[in-house]
Amino acid sequence: MEDTLKALISEAEDGIPTVRTRPQFEAFKARYLGPHGSLTRAMRGIKQVPREDKPRIGQLLNRTKKRLEELFEVCLGAIEEEEQAAKLGEAIDPSLPSPDPPPGNLHPLTQVREEINRILKSVGFVVADGPEVDTEFFCFDALNTPEDHPARDEQDTFYLPVEAKLANVAKFSDERYLLRTHTSTVQIRTMLGQRPPVRIISPGRCFRRDTTDATHSASFTQVEGLYVDKGVTVRDLKAVLDFLFKSLFGSDTKSRFRPHFFPYTEPSFEMDARSAHLKKVGKEWVELGGCGMVDPAVFAAVGYDPEVYSGYAFGFGIERCAMILYGIDDIRYFYQNDYRFLRQFGHPVSC
Amino acid sequence: MLISLNWLSRYIDLADKTVEEIAHALNMLGFEVEKVRETGLPQLEKVVVGRVLHRDQHPNADRLAVCRVEVGTMKPLQIVCGASNYRVGDRVPVALVGSSLPGGYKINATELRGVTSFGMMCSPRELGLGEDHEGLLILDGEPEIGAPINQAFPDSDTVFDLEVTPNRPDCLSHLGIGRELAAYFGKKLVYPELKTDPDRLPPVGRSALIGGVTTLSPDNCPNYIAYSLGGVKIAPSPEWLQGYLRAVDQRPINNVVDITNFVLLELGQPLHAFDADKIGGREIIVRQAVQGEKIVTLDNKERILNSDMLVIADAEKPLVVAGVMGSIEAEVDESTVDIVLESAYFNPSNIRRTSRQLGLSSDSSYRFERGVDPNGANFAALRAIDLILEIAGGERIGPVIQTGSEPTVERKIAITPQYIRELAGFDFPDVRIREVFRALECGVRERDDHWEVEPPSWRGDLYRPADLAEEFLRLYGSDRIPDTPVTMSGMDQKDAPVASLTRLHSQYLANRHFQECINYSLRSEDEISRWFGHFELDPLRLENPIASDQTHLRVSLIPGLLDALKFNRARDTGLERVFEVGKIFHERDGRVYELYSVAFLAFIPERTASWKRREAFDFYSAKSIMEVLAKAAALDIESIGYQAEEKDGSLWLKGHSAQVDAMAVDGFQAQIGRLRFKVVKEWDLDGDVLGGSLEILPEKLGKDEGMVTYRPFSQFPTAVKDLALVVDESLLAETVRRQLGKLARQVAGKRFDLEAVSVFDVYKGEGIPKGKKSLAFNLRFRADDRTLTDKEVGEVFSALQDRVEASTPYRIRN
Repeated sequence: MEDTLKALISEAEDGIPTVRTRPQFEAFKARYLGPHGSLTRAMRGIKQVPREDKPRIGQLLNRTKKRLEELFEVCLGAIEEEEQAAKLGEAIDPSLPSPDPPPGNLHPLTQVREEINRILKSVGFVVADGPEVDTEFFCFDALNTPEDHPARDEQDTFYLPVEAKLANVAKFSDERYLLRTHTSTVQIRTMLGQRPPVRIISPGRCFRRDTTDATHSASFTQVEGLYVDKGVTVRDLKAVLDFLFKSLFGSDTKSRFRPHFFPYTEPSFEMDARSAHLKKVGKEWVELGGCGMVDPAVFAAVGYDPEVYSGYAFGFGIERCAMILYGIDDIRYFYQNDYRFLRQFGHPVSC
Repeated sequence: MLISLNWLSRYIDLADKTVEEIAHALNMLGFEVEKVRETGLPQLEKVVVGRVLHRDQHPNADRLAVCRVEVGTMKPLQIVCGASNYRVGDRVPVALVGSSLPGGYKINATELRGVTSFGMMCSPRELGLGEDHEGLLILDGEPEIGAPINQAFPDSDTVFDLEVTPNRPDCLSHLGIGRELAAYFGKKLVYPELKTDPDRLPPVGRSALIGGVTTLSPDNCPNYIAYSLGGVKIAPSPEWLQGYLRAVDQRPINNVVDITNFVLLELGQPLHAFDADKIGGREIIVRQAVQGEKIVTLDNKERILNSDMLVIADAEKPLVVAGVMGSIEAEVDESTVDIVLESAYFNPSNIRRTSRQLGLSSDSSYRFERGVDPNGANFAALRAIDLILEIAGGERIGPVIQTGSEPTVERKIAITPQYIRELAGFDFPDVRIREVFRALECGVRERDDHWEVEPPSWRGDLYRPADLAEEFLRLYGSDRIPDTPVTMSGMDQKDAPVASLTRLHSQYLANRHFQECINYSLRSEDEISRWFGHFELDPLRLENPIASDQTHLRVSLIPGLLDALKFNRARDTGLERVFEVGKIFHERDGRVYELYSVAFLAFIPERTASWKRREAFDFYSAKSIMEVLAKAAALDIESIGYQAEEKDGSLWLKGHSAQVDAMAVDGFQAQIGRLRFKVVKEWDLDGDVLGGSLEILPEKLGKDEGMVTYRPFSQFPTAVKDLALVVDESLLAETVRRQLGKLARQVAGKRFDLEAVSVFDVYKGEGIPKGKKSLAFNLRFRADDRTLTDKEVGEVFSALQDRVEASTPYRIRN
């Protein structure tokens, strides 16, 4: 009996590689476990086994059955796999391109904006937003820009007709609506809405009545920053801008402040940067934007006490940063949407 | 503003500073140097005047000579030279070893055919003086041997083109800039010395050339001074004067006019010289122009004036648009003998308005509108008189005539040095601060606990402590602000909802293979009226557009995206999927709303060249994208539900587009689907365009949604039943689905939950009556506490079928 069972297993083991299809498998299985199968017969033969041998032989029979079932399972698994593979058809050619559309990209201006946001958020700024159609008060008056200042001229600023009404952009009194010329408007709206400390950046679209050429665009994007608290200093301003430009343009970037004039800051500076590895700013200082300490007149307009609080503000163009960063020489490319331009900026943006 | 270095040197000695040092100083003082222009000989270092002492034939070269040249040092230099136009005793420019010549050519001691040359004698071209390279530059006269070569060329000059910010009218002059540089370098500023004593009356016996000055508009002209000069001889200016003017791009005219221009550019005070004979009635009246009054200005243009404008008139006619430009009729010319010299202070904003209204800006108006020194008029007049008497001859006649008086400008600013240190955030001693203020000619008086600082009359921009803090930092040097790491306290704040949503939407669409585009916010009237006829146009109009195709605020992002597809199609760049995020504007009841919007388009070209076919982007692709966009904005688009697009004249194709209009209540609307063929054709696209647009009132975003509280869910399996219903083909699947769900919940009651009902098949055709369609639903039941039995689910399901048959117009399909 023992020999018979051993022979049975080795026979099954030898036979399995020849079983390739499901009918073959069924027939093969029946040879052992079917009503006339050899194991079935052997199990029936237990009755003839002497009583004292019965437990041992019984165990042996069970082991044999278990082993056979294992073999069948493996065999069936292999057959199923081949069946699945046959259904899938031919093997793929890994070199063929995907027929799906090519990857999408964020616009380079979005990428630079988000990078600036990321850097400034890392030192505690938060992104604020405001309307693109704003009013003379928020764009000029509150920013200490007098009525007859050239920037307010119709030559330079887009206005809406006097009778224009914006349902969801509040006026301060009866001033005119205009397309904002800078995002400092957001600073005013924020300061009017909350008490210090205020630490915001406001990226966004701005408009100036410029004829478009390689370096001017009637529509452009800006980032402005504002920090108001007790004891904010010029040195803090320099520190944050150094940090920003080193992070944005690379750690070899140097920046400097040059005194300047803006109605809404005092002292005011223009900031220049230089970075050896960037072609456009490798040799000479390049002007990036303006900054300064918030003018007391601006604090007066929003009801902050200049005796108690001080603050800094800065602003610069995102196009300019992108042009420096990527070596782009014509601002118009940003608004043409030529895919050959846009797809060159395929870097992922960390948000 | 052009500043000549030679001219500047009349007031400050800058001989020890290089052009680069001066330019740097100007930049750091806040006067951005836009250009530096060298005229004549460029500034050269280590190039000096030399004299040839000996000239011998080179032993090894026929064409070369070996010279000994005296250059002011103890020992003459040995220099090898190839030129032949010079003689022993000539003075020539010598570039010493270590110098470098224009073009970057460096001079070293070099051996030429066995003889060492310690320097080079130069031709004009080698010095950057034109193209002459025929021979050495032989110096005229007897310039000092060894002196820097630039001293031998006084005509050469460096002109700085500066940006003077509008707050600094005092620096629209050479003296003003000189004062700044003197303060920066710690040098002395030398004022021009007056020879005319204002207090000493001219020879008696003659009265002034005019009877008097009457000011009818004292507000616009607080101070007016007129001097009379007789017997002046008009002629071309001397060369030195013409040279200064030319250096700063002024055209010399005649001596008197040139002198007034010179004083304007020297002191910043505009002056006007009248030909006394052309003053009708010998009387000057300062008055407002009569509405419609005409004057032909010096630029030979007729100007029509209005009553806002101030004129200087005689008894009959206006002679000058005050502070802006004189009339061609009262001009000083060759025949002029007697002149009346005007020096005045005009109201800056009045001049600014006049200049703008006339579209006429002059050197004079540029200064008056920014504000000249209120106390500077008389000094400038006397300075001009000195120069006229010296250059054009003549004499002062009669007394000065003055109306009004110098505006008082007393300003005392109380400040503490500590305030400046606190604002700056770093340390510097009191004494430094005081030095800076004094260098700027501010009076500084120390009181018990503060300083009292009195700025000079020309510094109208200084009236608050912050202004003085700026002055200090400017002169102390903004390059001395110490570098520090950022140190700021933490602030727990969230980005504005629009900003976070912009980020989420752009990221998502880029990940879905859409390319971000950016378009201008202004579009044409035609386009808006054609495709967005439901908006009234006028409220969206700009008052002063700059281009005819950019006259109105955009009402949708779709046209810009179509432009992008068209542009790229025409250039065959392969771009098919685009999106934009930005602000748009809607009109409703005559009022404009600014909205946040995100829109995407997928272009499906008629023919695609790909080795493998894909199922094309369709309505439901757009719907799935919109679902995510809405979810990111926390908008419940599903429960409001889409309406099939039915509007005519919109961009969207009827029967293949849908919209959600929840503007009135929830502040948003959405459109998805296929654009009309007419639209696609209009933008020259050979295929289909599908997409979507979501438009949200920004104020509706970012509402606090509160905390999420976890709800427990069943751990037991579902029981699933399928049911197909035959319904009117016009019915929305969603309507039927909701009705079925409602009934199923009613039937199941509290026994167990209907977890979900979903459509899994839509069928029309054989076996279904005309005008009907079959919708097959999948119902998923589940209980919280047990595995459902076939029996209990079967009971509910069969009760549901009875209920559907009994209470709805739907029929169960067998």
